[in-house]
Amino acid sequence: MIKRWFKEFKNLGNEEIEKIPDEERREFLKIGLIITGVFAGGSLLSVVSKVAEGLATPEELKNNYPYKPHYSMVFKIDLCIDCERCVEACNLTNQVPDYGWRTMILERYSSKAVDQKRIFLPILCNHCNHPPCVIACPTKATIKDSQTGIVKMVSYKCIGCKTCMTACPYNARYFNEERHAVDKCDFCWEKRLSKGITPTACVEACPAGVRIFGDLSDPLSEVYRLVHQLGKPVWVLKPETGAKPNVFYTIS
Amino acid sequence: MKKIIKILIFLSFLLGFSGLAYLQERSEEGLVIPNEEIGAPEIVYNKPVKGVLFSHKYHVGELGLSCESCHPKLFEMQALKAQENPDFNMNALYQGKYCGACHDGKMAFASNTKCATCHIGVKGLKRLEKEMKTGKK
Repeated sequence: MIKRWFKEFKNLGNEEIEKIPDEERREFLKIGLIITGVFAGGSLLSVVSKVAEGLATPEELKNNYPYKPHYSMVFKIDLCIDCERCVEACNLTNQVPDYGWRTMILERYSSKAVDQKRIFLPILCNHCNHPPCVIACPTKATIKDSQTGIVKMVSYKCIGCKTCMTACPYNARYFNEERHAVDKCDFCWEKRLSKGITPTACVEACPAGVRIFGDLSDPLSEVYRLVHQLGKPVWVLKPETGAKPNVFYTIS
Repeated sequence: MKKIIKILIFLSFLLGFSGLAYLQERSEEGLVIPNEEIGAPEIVYNKPVKGVLFSHKYHVGELGLSCESCHPKLFEMQALKAQENPDFNMNALYQGKYCGACHDGKMAFASNTKCATCHIGVKGLKRLEKEMKTGKK
């Protein structure tokens, strides 16, 4: 049976483009166009879905950032060496317990890889423009700051239901037993930014210049420069969730 | 007789724990994993940043470099001695010191490229520590 089927398959003629009826071809092209359209316009540089089309003039782009300052972080991941000074500094600054985390380093390792066998990926809260955690929270204990765009916790309102932890696409939240509330990265707002100290503790601690922090709405800032150039790839994690994160990744 | 066995058991526990404590203390400073085949250890530096691997197994075993290529001019024979020097950092490497003597982009890949090849990080350090304790590779 399989043999016969295989034989038939082998005897099938070449389906060259000329042989496809016009109608079908047009449909195919249409689908192709739609798919490409979604890809380029939507999620690649998701933050501001306008980035892709807005690459024309920075002035136009500037108006598309909803926050001022629009805090953002860019990672040059090939420079990360997992020394975890950022983690230590964060834990110390924000009193993160042993079992918790606000930022961490992930590792991808393959012994079969050509040349370099590992690469590290630092992660933290992406301070999304459409934060799924904020939408999920039943008590408004986690909010998107209307001025800075930082996703913050209002600890006393937290009932510890952990819905936000499930909702977060970036696993950026943990339950703090001592505070009896979920805790997460707030770009050091409480401990540093609100007191006029910049940048965040992790950025200050990084010895390799992996983390760059700044105002994405300011055309003079480095984060703006890195996100809006075309020379090197810039991407976000899990763009398909539509959360529009404000944490970007690139290479040095 | 029973008493002796009890004392022996107690002593072995004590030795085991102190051994563990010693290992942990050492891993703060760095890691030296003996390799009998090569006769020189795998070294993980923890200063100035954690988790930087130098593999004798690769450099001597696979590349076939001799001891004199690095010792004692670039590195003293004592493992982890180099990290006590205040200039043991990337800038020194760029100036041709330490690893930078070969890792200059001509003889071997340049020191400012392929970071995570030597920098195995805290994760790599922990993995090696675990391998060392369990004796598995």
